[in-house]
Amino acid sequence: MSIPILKQGNFLIVSIQTIISDKDLISLQDDLSLQVGKHRSKGVVIDVTTLDVMDSFSTRTLRNIAYTIKLRGAETVIVGIQPDVAFAMIQLGLKLDDVKTALNLEEGLMLLNYLLERK
Amino acid sequence: MSTIPPLSKTPTSKKISETSSTAGSKSISSNLLKAMNINETDIERRKEWLEFTEKDVKHLAELDSIAKGYADELIKSLNNHFKKFNESSQIFDNPEVLKRVKVLQKEYFLRLTQGNYDSNYIEERLNVGNVHASIGLDVKWYLGAYNFYVQAVGGKIFEAFKDDPQKTKDLFLSLIKLVFMDIGLAIDTYIFQREITIREQQEAIRELSTPVLQVRGELLILPIVGIIDTQRARQVTEKLLKFIRDRRAKVVVMDITGVSTVDSRVANHVLQTVDASRLMGATVIVTGLSPEVAQTLVAIGVDLSKLNTVGDLQGGLAEAERILGYKVTRVERGDSLASSSQE
Amino acid sequence: MKNKVSIPINDEFDIVIARQKGREMAKDLGFATIDLALVATAISELTRNIITYAQKGTIFLELVENQGKKGILVISKDDGPGIENIELALQDGYSTTQSLGLGLPGVRRLMDDFEIQSELGKGTTVIATKWIS
Repeated sequence: MSIPILKQGNFLIVSIQTIISDKDLISLQDDLSLQVGKHRSKGVVIDVTTLDVMDSFSTRTLRNIAYTIKLRGAETVIVGIQPDVAFAMIQLGLKLDDVKTALNLEEGLMLLNYLLERK
Repeated sequence: MSTIPPLSKTPTSKKISETSSTAGSKSISSNLLKAMNINETDIERRKEWLEFTEKDVKHLAELDSIAKGYADELIKSLNNHFKKFNESSQIFDNPEVLKRVKVLQKEYFLRLTQGNYDSNYIEERLNVGNVHASIGLDVKWYLGAYNFYVQAVGGKIFEAFKDDPQKTKDLFLSLIKLVFMDIGLAIDTYIFQREITIREQQEAIRELSTPVLQVRGELLILPIVGIIDTQRARQVTEKLLKFIRDRRAKVVVMDITGVSTVDSRVANHVLQTVDASRLMGATVIVTGLSPEVAQTLVAIGVDLSKLNTVGDLQGGLAEAERILGYKVTRVERGDSLASSSQE
Repeated sequence: MKNKVSIPINDEFDIVIARQKGREMAKDLGFATIDLALVATAISELTRNIITYAQKGTIFLELVENQGKKGILVISKDDGPGIENIELALQDGYSTTQSLGLGLPGVRRLMDDFEIQSELGKGTTVIATKWIS
């Protein structure tokens, strides 16, 4: 089951709605890379609001996605990490230090705009 | 089973009494049994401890007819006794209440000799104890009422079986066992109520000692005062993260000037809070960390490199405004050229 | 609701099954919301370790009680290669694969009680409990 990617102007929005498997997440990496190239997107927002657990795999993969997208010249912002999930991630030692984060979709898009202007 | 409405509204009574007033005794009771952690094993142990056996059950059954005949008279005397004392006469203030109390008392008394001393029996007893604890009847008065029952019924037993001293002894002693069972349960409900109060008070203290102040839309100030143990640290972090989400805060100024001891454990709690907030898109500025303490922490291996620290709260707020200023400016530019709102 | 559950772990889909079950059991027991996330994450990590290092194993979940305290017991068991140096694995910062390695120090932080037994060539068992505070 592939994760839908929406285009909004210069940006792509990925909203994870259901429980996704490891395979889905890896596919997302490939899909996004493709789409960013195709639309020459400048940024990607990945909304993980519905994820009730972010473990080492999902964190690592999201980091990889951000890295891959950066190679394509676009910024990635992860949004929607919930308080409980954030707390658990930190306990587990997962920090996402080198990936940008924002509270929600709206904030994420604003951040992308800001980063875009700065360039 | 009808219940007495609380005469004095104490916070604890609110919780349990609300449950009690729903229809269907099954849901009331199993709530209390569960809440008080009393299961089948526990009930069996209580009986074993009191050496309460089938024999005792039989004895009590023999008392049933006597009890029935005597019930009304007993209740009358009991209430006359209650009337004489300030501490218990409150139930007479309200005729509605009194009516229900009398029904309850009679039911309670008759139940002693009706057999089936199973978990349902225990549940009922716990509920009655709980209600009395809720209305603020001091435990000694509640327990003292049992004496009244024993005195009155004891007399009747001696009278009814005066030609059979063995039987008198057997029946009376069985009754005593059951009364002790009930007293044990009553004490447990009083303790249970106390524990609820204590927990609520502790919670209130924790809440009071960690306010999260919203200065303006996107800025939160979190002054932390006192001792930070792991439990409190977790509560503070949890509360802050929820605030960040609900108030959409972008910057948090966390002031630790008032923290009594900043050791590596506390430092790690702070770092964790900072990291977790960052995951939610908020920047945390830590103020009140003295250079000496910072040096000591670094010396013992705590990594403070990613920590955004400013000397004092004022400086922290200024830094926060600076960060927010950036963001306010670029939002405005992004949407329109309307003048930026610098509150 | 059952007190004891065993979940065979064979592929990545079992990761979600195991942690959902753990979350459900913990919720029924009365854990606070934040603890549900901690338990689910710990189970996720342990299950992941099984898949990554042993390909298959089992997750046991059990509701336990100790002196009035209620908790959930999580046992992760596999017959995989085992851990060569447990001490090292439990140290923060140690890793064999890309990052975070076994995540064991993290799991230890997430749970209250933590115990690990491992023997090279025989397998690994992790026993962890979280109590309702």
